[in-house]
Amino acid sequence: MNGGGPWEVALFVSVNHALRAEKILKGEGIDTKLIPVPRQISTECGVCLRFPPSVRSRLEAALAGKIGIVAICPL
Amino acid sequence: MEKTVDARGLACPEPVILTKKALEQERGLVVLVDNDTAVENIRRLASKTGCAIAVTGEADGSFRIRLTRSAATPPHEGTDIGISCKTAGPKQTASPLVIVLSSDRLGRGNEELGEVLMRSFVHTLLTLEERPARIILYNTGVRLATRESPVLDDLRQLVEAGTELLVCGTCVNYFEIKGELGAGKISNMYDIVGAMAGAGRLIIP
Repeated sequence: MNGGGPWEVALFVSVNHALRAEKILKGEGIDTKLIPVPRQISTECGVCLRFPPSVRSRLEAALAGKIGIVAICPL
Repeated sequence: MEKTVDARGLACPEPVILTKKALEQERGLVVLVDNDTAVENIRRLASKTGCAIAVTGEADGSFRIRLTRSAATPPHEGTDIGISCKTAGPKQTASPLVIVLSSDRLGRGNEELGEVLMRSFVHTLLTLEERPARIILYNTGVRLATRESPVLDDLRQLVEAGTELLVCGTCVNYFEIKGELGAGKISNMYDIVGAMAGAGRLIIP
């Protein structure tokens, strides 16, 4: 999960939401990586999920109705 | 009148390149630079090209370098002039950064949160301009180097970039996880204490 990218990150309202989302996605076989929210996106200490753009639609579908995504940003 | 090359304010390797070019035209030269790296690069150039060199420190922290090419030495034609824009890699840094991870979680308190924080911590080490020279893992910290570890990819990337990852052998033995290690080299307390004692900065988060 540390290849060259490009990457996108999914932001959540809380650390707990990010962790729950990670578990759900893992269960669905969607590989993400929990990383600190990049400085350019927020100065608060938080975590987000990083993933390749190719899995974005699967990721959104897997979380629909379960965990709200605040935003998806390019990394 | 000797030619003067003012290379102050220029980024490496500009100063040494300008100096080399000027030496192709001139037998004697004065170069002004403002950092140690440029001085060292020009010293190497002088040594490779058979020039006499005299370095004088100026009051403002810059350096005046006088170079004189001997009559017998032709201008240097090759491109190998030993330029180094980094004074050292992680292992040769004068004040090496050493990080000790004595647990697989960051901080005391909530375990789940501690695990999240450790993942963030190790990932963020990759963004440091100066990577750690060494990372030492002991006690439950050794679990971070196992194949199941969520930070294994990041640790491997640090190792690929030159960080030495020392994993406490006693701890690996105690937890019986030798066969599960995915990164680092098994180490002992002599190496660990030596690495700590030799650290310029020691971080134990």
